Amino acid sequence: MISSDILYLSASELAKRIQSKSLSPVDLAKAYLDRSEKLGPKLNAYARLSPDIALEQATAAEREIGRGHYRGPLHGVPYAAKDLLATKGIPATWGAKPYENQVFDYDATVIENLRRSGAVLLGKAAMIELAGGMNYRFASASLQGAAKNPWNTSCWTCGSSSGSGAIVAAGLAAFAIGTETWGSIVCPSAYCGVSGLRPTFGRVSRYGAMALSYSMDKIGPMARSAEDCAHIFAVIAGHDIKDQSTLSLDKAAFTYSPSAELSAKPLRFGWLTNAWKQIDAHAEKAIQAAERAVRKIFSGTRNAALPEGPFEAAGGIIIAVEGAAAFRELIRSGKVAQLADPLGQINGYVSEQIEATDYVRALQVRGVLQQKMEALFDGFDVLVAASQPLGANALDANLETDLIFPDPLGGIGNLCGLPALSVPCGFTDENLPVGLQFVAKAGNDLAVIRAARSFQQHTEWHRKHPKIS
Amino acid sequence: MTQRKRPDNSLSRREFARQATLGAAAASAALLPLPELPPSGTPTLPVQLPANAPKLSLQSQSEADARYQSILAQYPDRFSDVQKVDLQHLCFVLQPQLDRLRAWPVANSDQPALYLKPLVEREKKSNAAPNLKSAPASTPSKSAAPERP
Repeated sequence: MISSDILYLSASELAKRIQSKSLSPVDLAKAYLDRSEKLGPKLNAYARLSPDIALEQATAAEREIGRGHYRGPLHGVPYAAKDLLATKGIPATWGAKPYENQVFDYDATVIENLRRSGAVLLGKAAMIELAGGMNYRFASASLQGAAKNPWNTSCWTCGSSSGSGAIVAAGLAAFAIGTETWGSIVCPSAYCGVSGLRPTFGRVSRYGAMALSYSMDKIGPMARSAEDCAHIFAVIAGHDIKDQSTLSLDKAAFTYSPSAELSAKPLRFGWLTNAWKQIDAHAEKAIQAAERAVRKIFSGTRNAALPEGPFEAAGGIIIAVEGAAAFRELIRSGKVAQLADPLGQINGYVSEQIEATDYVRALQVRGVLQQKMEALFDGFDVLVAASQPLGANALDANLETDLIFPDPLGGIGNLCGLPALSVPCGFTDENLPVGLQFVAKAGNDLAVIRAARSFQQHTEWHRKHPKIS
Repeated sequence: MTQRKRPDNSLSRREFARQATLGAAAASAALLPLPELPPSGTPTLPVQLPANAPKLSLQSQSEADARYQSILAQYPDRFSDVQKVDLQHLCFVLQPQLDRLRAWPVANSDQPALYLKPLVEREKKSNAAPNLKSAPASTPSKSAAPERP
């Protein structure tokens, strides 16, 4: 019998036990499946479990490792994949009613890479319908219903990688794969108290992933630590001939060794003074304490400020237009009415009306912004700010009216495809997790990993987990 | 994608509703005065504003309303009355984003960044192959670029 303490170990710690053969991948997969069957439905965390595949992959891993063929730090480690990734033979519903019976006959490149690394697929994580591509008003905008936060089940996990956040936080898998177009890895990681990496645009192949915004979608890991994120990223990053938006071989690939950090040159940190206009009173103490910790751990941290401009508007326009193009048939056919969310049912019609010249202007603004951010990163390697200005919101909140705040860092970071890593940094006075995000220039994913790992070497927040039964 | 946040200078519905009740002018502004005549001289009908519309110029109101009317014309039988109210609201709340975007100066020479890949490729090219040619005489001077905040 494997205890929940084992199930909450980081993937890196599980890997050590698996490699030394003191932990059986089959027993581990069974234990996660058992816990997922019991707790998953209570949290609306999974779209579907795939026990047959999990046990087949775990058995193969155990056999290989027994023979002395150890593939690396994910070999035998169980994970869940967001339900917008194609997985051969398993439905990929994209979280949406119109696609509930959709099955692909191939694996997404990310799934294929994870399979090659020996990772064990437990199932598909629930998500916001179409990853929020048609927009949404309520947390219930999902085939599985609102994902409940393991820290407080009357609160939401954030979206759109809602199930991925719940699964990692509840110890239902060692890690999960999420995606982000704007906020969908960073926000659920913050709300759920897990570590999530949004990689540089183009480093991870999107072949086999649902497209929402062709120029902004990214795929990344959500896990228990920055180190875990680094190991997973090393497996899923790389040029892919099947995805023309991936970077070239030398720019996309990522190799990671914690020991290599020792010889790396020190990073220059900037604490962003204008990332959030206002911090929620419940989260204020935790975020202030996190800022003090950052300034202490990374001595020499200076204040930094994001450039000002219509960057959120540009990001919103690009996503709206690309989303309307990606789901043109769904909108035109009227099947978009089958979506669960009242806003999702109609917003695509408005997005269709945006003029091409406005879209191109948004792309021009993005080009200018890229240069501005390049200039900002001349003085800093890593920018730091709270991941969100608050803890998780209530499950029934109207996101359109109750959760209104500007998010310039989310807008700029996603518009420019910058890497970000969100890590837990404390709790609100309502005992909900609060996150801290590290952001670097495009291509410098290693900088955010180094920064977040250093932060976690000095803090214990990432080791906390909710008490659920 | 997380639920998209409203840009800096916009109002939430609640905030707008509160302000609307405070301002008599806003409260009575369900029907606005005629907007300026278009160049053709054809009179434009008054724009019926949704109750929770953001503050917009007359031109922007007309544009937002035209967007709404275009949807209804394209999909005449598709929406319930509740959805129509929602649609109209969405058409109006989109407008401030477009207005902000258009007001920000970009130059003719500012290339649209369709993908982020070219930025990385440019870096590579500039390292590998220094530009041996002098700039052509027609290259616009730096001062020709618009001033940006």
